[in-house]
Amino acid sequence: MIDAYEEIRVGESIEGSCFAVTRDTIREFCDASLDYNPLHLDDEYMKGSFGKTQFGGIIMHGMTSFGLITRMLTDWLYERGGVHRRLETRWRAPVRPGDTIRPRARVAHRKLTHHGRWLLLEIELRNQRDELIAGGEAMAEFPLDLAAAVRA
Amino acid sequence: MGEARFETDFWKDAAARKSWDDLVPGEPRRTLPYLLTAEAIRKYCHAVGDLHPLYLDEAYAKRSPYGGLIAPPSIHILLMFACTPADDWMRSPGTVNAGQCWSYNLPARPGDSITLQARCLDKFMRKDRLFAVHDNVFFNQHGKVICSGRGQTVRPL
Repeated sequence: MIDAYEEIRVGESIEGSCFAVTRDTIREFCDASLDYNPLHLDDEYMKGSFGKTQFGGIIMHGMTSFGLITRMLTDWLYERGGVHRRLETRWRAPVRPGDTIRPRARVAHRKLTHHGRWLLLEIELRNQRDELIAGGEAMAEFPLDLAAAVRA
Repeated sequence: MGEARFETDFWKDAAARKSWDDLVPGEPRRTLPYLLTAEAIRKYCHAVGDLHPLYLDEAYAKRSPYGGLIAPPSIHILLMFACTPADDWMRSPGTVNAGQCWSYNLPARPGDSITLQARCLDKFMRKDRLFAVHDNVFFNQHGKVICSGRGQTVRPL
């Protein structure tokens, strides 16, 4: 069984894939997430203001970013015998049709606990103008017995 | 069980939903059980371009430490609305997501009968906006925790 924990270094970076956002990808995410909030569907509704915020048109679901970050982490972890254990994100700016977004991560810390081997990762997701869309952190565990940890 | 149908008009039942004023922190939300199918997982995976064979290729998944197909950890994005009734305040039009935090215990798998225990845990005002914190735990049919998480949303007035 693969176990790459000892080879992973603090400072190592992980690059996610680019995701081109269109009205179609937003609509597809509505169907996949069952989230049909008019924020993501209704341009007329989005001409209004939301407290102090004006979006001016439909925006992508914040949880699309969450899914893309998760994909980046799991693709990297599965190959190394790691398990994705936690993701915390804060949304900094909206994403609109026509934007391209990309998640990145950096290994920030390694930690041994009573029974576990852990990584702490810093996360960010930026658009094509290098604006910060989402920031956060993640935790990954490298169980000594991976099969037991994921099938219990 | 056939594929469940879900309400796609978020304005329907809007009047019946709780506003920020009505939310009682700590009070459980009514939730619905949900049968997670391989088809629903496939659709979700395609929408985020996450096509790892652990989610889609049964033969590959069987040979892996996972011993069979699983859903990606972020499947709670689908489970959240699948388990939330149409008249729930989480579906209020104009609800804006401010941040989320999730912990993962066991993978969800196709065929799992999923249940959700959820509540509004906190509500507050900041920078002239109204916020609510929602708190959620998803279980499988064996009573084991799949994942748990909190989110903050800005509530529409």
